[in-house]
Amino acid sequence: MTPERERSGRPLVLVVDDDPDILEAICDVLEREGYRVARARQGQEALDRVGEERPGAILLDLMMPVMDGVAFAEALRARTGGAPIPIVVISADGNPQRAEAVGAQGYLAKPFDIDALLAQVAVATSDPANSAP
Amino acid sequence: MSEKADGARAEERGPGADAEGQGEGGAGRRASYLGFVAHEVRNPLSTALWSAELLARMAPAERAGARGEKLVAMCLRSIGRVRRLVEDHFLVERLDVRGIPLRPEPLPIADLVRAAVERAPTGASVETDVEAGLAAHADRMLCERTLECLLAMAGASGAPVRVRGRREGVRVSLHVKGDPPPEGALEDPRRGSPSDARGRSLALPAARRAAAAAGGALSVEGDEYALVLPLAAGSPAPEGR
Repeated sequence: MTPERERSGRPLVLVVDDDPDILEAICDVLEREGYRVARARQGQEALDRVGEERPGAILLDLMMPVMDGVAFAEALRARTGGAPIPIVVISADGNPQRAEAVGAQGYLAKPFDIDALLAQVAVATSDPANSAP
Repeated sequence: MSEKADGARAEERGPGADAEGQGEGGAGRRASYLGFVAHEVRNPLSTALWSAELLARMAPAERAGARGEKLVAMCLRSIGRVRRLVEDHFLVERLDVRGIPLRPEPLPIADLVRAAVERAPTGASVETDVEAGLAAHADRMLCERTLECLLAMAGASGAPVRVRGRREGVRVSLHVKGDPPPEGALEDPRRGSPSDARGRSLALPAARRAAAAAGGALSVEGDEYALVLPLAAGSPAPEGR
């Protein structure tokens, strides 16, 4: 892991997972790296967070109650139209094809390495067009 | 084993049943069940690994601080979840291949309930109402695991739990009332408590399988769990009959 960086100007990352420990651990890692984070426990909550502030990237679990990751991605596409927000699927189902179904830019199979997570987030947030204003 | 018996056994085993002899439907259910088990294990395994890795990267002074304590707690909690999931999964698997030697013995129900109440990790109050002298004839380990699971599930929210034990003909009937059973969760863990923070997402199907292996049955009656076990010889006749 790289040393803690300057926090100002770092993009917002929305982490969506129904497992509270997963949420806490990933947000802890990202915050230590200087990212701003928003969190949601299921798809509908994630849509609300996107409505509050457009994130630079979304880390998305697929199997969740109320609104799962696939339904969330469809609703997000309908909302953002031609300016998609990069999605990295973080899934425990071991099926990378499901990431394609949501048009994800990246896929991480749990349990993944912390450095792999940071690398994917760095790539996903590297396009200035996708960063929060 | 006859075709009918095979079918009954497969139904009894629910989603963990092996696919052999059950055609594509059975293989599909089996694959779906194993996929769910893998999903449930990978989540706490992830947090166990991450918290341990983050602790290893910390300077000793930071490790002794609040963040270090939080990560140690997360690591232990996650390993506990994995442990429960693995135990439940392998209980089902071992019962399916008859890999657990069963030792039926007379089990005083009052003692069984008392032991389960002491072990069940629930903060809920438990009220018991068991007929005097009531005893089942079944394997102790399987009955204890089943009852402990039911107490944990029924008391998950902290609501009071009530356990009622009665003789019903040649059977012992135990009703556990508390948090209502998730619909369909005895048969399909995906309809129960996926990503359960206590690692109990496989517990109800495992308890159902354990109850069946003990010669009884676990079902849902209304908003109660109903566990039926074989009656031990010499149990007193119910009062008023």
